[in-house]
Formats: sequence, structure tokens, C-alpha cells
Amino acid sequence: MDSFFALLLNGLNSSALILVAALGMVVICGLMNVINLAHGELIMIGAYTAFCVTQKAGLSFALALPAAFAAAAAAGAVLEILVIRRLTGKPAETMLATFGISVVLQQTVNLIFGAQSQYVAIPLEGNFSLGHVVVPFYNIFTILFVAAVLAGTVVFLKKTRFGRRVRAVTQNRSMAECLGVNSARVDTLTFAFGSGLAGLAGALAAPVKSVSPFMGGPYLVYSFLTSVVGGVASFFGTTVGSLLVGESSALLGGLSNDVIANILVFLIIIAIIRFKPEGLFAKERR
Amino acid sequence: MKRLKLPMTRKLDLALFLVLGLFPLSGLLFYTQLIEKYMVFLIFAWSLDILWGYAGLMDLGHAVLFGMGGYVMALSLSAQNGVPEFMERCGITQMPLWLQAITSPWAAVLVGILLPALLAWLLGRFLFTSQVGGVFFSVITLSLAQVFTLFLNSRQDYTGGFNGIGDLPGLALFGEPLTLTQSYYFVFAAVLLVYLFCRALMNSRFGLILRGIRENETRIEFLGCDRSAFKTAVFAVSGALAGLAGVLYAPVNGMIAPNDVGVEFSTAAVVWLAIGGRGSLTGAALGAMLINVLGNMLSEQFGAFWQLLLGFVIVLVVFFAPEGIVGKLAKAVKERG
Repeated sequence: MDSFFALLLNGLNSSALILVAALGMVVICGLMNVINLAHGELIMIGAYTAFCVTQKAGLSFALALPAAFAAAAAAGAVLEILVIRRLTGKPAETMLATFGISVVLQQTVNLIFGAQSQYVAIPLEGNFSLGHVVVPFYNIFTILFVAAVLAGTVVFLKKTRFGRRVRAVTQNRSMAECLGVNSARVDTLTFAFGSGLAGLAGALAAPVKSVSPFMGGPYLVYSFLTSVVGGVASFFGTTVGSLLVGESSALLGGLSNDVIANILVFLIIIAIIRFKPEGLFAKERR
Repeated sequence: MKRLKLPMTRKLDLALFLVLGLFPLSGLLFYTQLIEKYMVFLIFAWSLDILWGYAGLMDLGHAVLFGMGGYVMALSLSAQNGVPEFMERCGITQMPLWLQAITSPWAAVLVGILLPALLAWLLGRFLFTSQVGGVFFSVITLSLAQVFTLFLNSRQDYTGGFNGIGDLPGLALFGEPLTLTQSYYFVFAAVLLVYLFCRALMNSRFGLILRGIRENETRIEFLGCDRSAFKTAVFAVSGALAGLAGVLYAPVNGMIAPNDVGVEFSTAAVVWLAIGGRGSLTGAALGAMLINVLGNMLSEQFGAFWQLLLGFVIVLVVFFAPEGIVGKLAKAVKERG
């Protein structure tokens, strides 16, 4: 029973990491309808920013989080202006171009830092025990922080002036332009925001997962599958999706082994996509 | 007198085959061996081209199908003298039943081609009958590649794990090992046959419908064609060809490892086609040859810079030559008259 509880908590932690990565994907893919194959590399940028801030510059992890957001958002904005904008309405070309970008980013980081895994110290040492289950403080912090990020994103898009503009542009671009919204600027900022979330995911994962130039691949797949399972435009769906992916791989991993768990989760997700391609919690589209 | 007019792409094909056919005469043994390996990649490139270039299905995990063929052949070759060494190290002393079944190389060839075809057919059956769009196909195949690599790395007892399966004997016919030249021309013949097969298939009604699906799926459906059946069929054929490429790769390369069959190799094939040009077979072949030969020359001196350059080239190709180098050339020739 104790080990089951431990697995559940572990799963919650990986769900939280997947959720932030997938939130960025929801903003970029769900709102802007752009398939960004360089999403994993934006996460990698966030992780390396955290590495530079804490290990190279010796500053606190609290600074690393906003720095990672800013670095990835800046990279995202440049990417949108230089590439994505010019390929609107061409999904196949966008995929290919962002794939090229992902190779460029991987190799650039590889040239600067080398291919070896980098180490980022865990910012919150210590743990407490619940019965026989040991819970590191950092896991609790991750879960709470991610919950706050989720709430912040929803409030940002639903309540602020900028969020209203974002939704207006995604729902009816020409009408929004007629009403004086600068849609090109909104696109850039939306993309930058989604990228920033990806960077945040990278910084949060950096102390507990390996940081290397090629770390992005699995994150790309996980965040894509998660956002698809939940329904690409639904934040509630993405939350449930990330819980589903994180918990099931942790629980199945505890019962059998990691590989079988991954294969099973993958099969379950394919089945869900097959029978509900619009996602489990898709919004009605008019 | 009427001159036989060949399209530009056919002339390029002929030129490529001429160069490949004459290359061993140069006597450069090392490069002959290398080109032999790249010829195997041609089959793999075509298998992706009929799927992506003609039917518009971008498979980002195509090397899984290649790898299944390759691993089946590698397992069979390593089991020629009883239980393979890497299995013994993991404590397996008895030959597993499934390995006994593919110990005969011809059985391995058959399984190595049919198994990936079957997987592709099942996956196609499952995916294409729903509303799942093209993007989902790409992402599902991409994650398949990741799961496959994970599987290969973890089942050390059956796949040799991270190091893969090495020390494989080269190609042999009827128990006689082939010399380098013989094995080169054996692969060359296989490449020619696959080329003719793909050409004929893509020029047939089947190929026409595939191009129709790429251009406008709904219209093809209205014309009375079951699009999911056609997509599934081309995926299965593509899987069989990719498996064949893998079956040849194991003995030609002498070893197979997860790196040869995972995400990296899948994306490599995507790059060949993107740069060479899709939907003409010629572009796939030239792209595969060009990038591998250049990569071999440059990667020793420049290492990561070569990969970086490749990334930039992909982005530039998308913007300035979305039809690829061969597509661009064909267009230029057409415009000149």
C-alpha cells in the first residue's frame, strides 16, 4: 500500500512536469494551430538557462525560473517572426521547417556545451515522510508551482486585455483585425508565451531529469500526446491528459517495468486518438 | 528521325545507376564498401518516398520498419552457430523457439520483409479508418520510433541492448560468402529491381490515386475510391520495402544497433527526401546519396558543424525550394522548354 502511495506521488510529480510542457503546446498548437516540432528544444533552452544561472553564474534557482521563461520566450518570438509567420496555412512545410530548427538548436547547444549531461543541483534539499513514504520537498514545490502556472495561464487568457485579444484573433482573425487588433503582434506574443511555458518546464525538470542537447525529443512526444488526448484547445483536458500520462506511466512502471509501461501508455494513447481524435474534453467548435 | 524523349528525372536516374554500376571498377575498396551501404539506403529512401512523396503521409518513425527487418536478419545471422554470444552473456543457454524459426536465412528474409509490412498494415488499418489527420500520423509514428528504441535498449538479452548486434558475416548465397564486388552487384541488382517496382507501381492507377489522395483526399473519396484502403496498402508496401532495406543492411554493414534504427535514422531519411525532393523517386535517391557522401566527407572534419549546416539547409529548402533540389531542377528545365 505504501509503495502504491509512493508511486502515486511520483506520478503526480511527473504529471506536473508534463503539464507545463503540454500547456505551452496547447497555447501554440491549440490556439495558433501551429505544429512546432522544435517544442522539445524550447524546453531544452529552458533547462540550459537554469543550468547557466544556477551552476555557472551561481545565482539562486528562484532567478532561474523567470530567466528560463524569458530565454525560451525570446527564442520563440524570433522563431515566429523568422519562420512560422511565413508559413501560415502550410502545416507540412511548418513541420519540416521547425524540424530543421530543432536540429539547429540541438547542434548549437551541442557545440557550446558539449553532448554530455549537465548537472543542476536540487534547489530545495530535504524531504519529509508520510508514514513510510519519503517525499522530497522539491516534488511538492513542483506540484504547487505548476498548479499556480496553470491558474495563471487560464486567468491570463480569460481575464486580461491581451488574453481577450488572443482569443479574438484565434476565433475570427479578419474580424479582430477590423476592430483594430494588430494580429501579427498578437501571434508573435502568443507564440512567445507558449515558448516561455516550455522553457519553464525545462527549468523545473532540470534538477531532477538529465539536461543534454538531445533531451527534447521525449518531451515533444509527451506534450503532444498529452495535449491531443485532452483536446488541443482545452486546459482542463490537458490537465486530465497529463495526469493520465504521468500517473499511468508511474503506476504501470511500478507494477512491471519502465519500458513495458511506456509501451502500454503509448498504446492507450493511440487508441484514444483513434476513437476520439478531437480529444477527451474537446470544446464544441462552431 | 524521332528522338526518344526522356523526362529529366529519368535521365538523372540513368546517370545515377551508371555511376553506381561502374563504381567498383575504380578499385577504391573502402569507398566501394561505403557506396554499397548507401545503396541500401536508396531502397529505404524510396520506401519513404512512395509513402510521403506520393501519398503525402509524413512518417517520422520510418526507421522502425527498417529496424525490424534489420534486427530479424541480424538475429538470424548471429544464430548460425547456436545460441548467439550476447544472449549467452545474459544467461540464455537454450535457443528460443522464435529464433529457431528464423535461423534459416531465407526464413529471416521472409520474416524481415513481412513483419514490418504487417505492423504497417495493422497500424494503417487502425489509424486511417478514423478521422485521424496527417499530423497525428506523423506524431504517432515519431513516438513509435521512441518506444522502439527504448525496447531495443532494454531487452538486452534479445537485442544486444545499446551495443546492438555486431560481428555479422557478410552477404552469402547458397552457403558461399560473396566477395566485395559480388556482394556490391548483388545489392545493385536489388536496388534496380526495387526501383523498377516503385516506378511501375507509381505509374499505375494505384500511384495516380495516391497522388490524388495527397492533393485532395475528399475529392478522391467522392470519385468512389476507399482512401483508407489505399493509404493502408501503400503503408504496407512501404513497410515491406523498408524491411527489405533493413534485411540487406545487417549483413552489408556487419552490425546493427539502436542508433541505426531509431528517431535519428528516421529523421535522416526525412532530411534526404526534403532536400532531394519528394514524389519523383529521383529526388529521394539523389538526396540520400548526396547527403550521405557529403556527410561522410565533412563529418570527420567538421563533426557537429555538419549537422548544424544540415539543419539550416532544411529550413532554407522549405523556404526557397519546397519541391526539393530535383523538383526545382525539373521546373527549371521545363521553363526553358
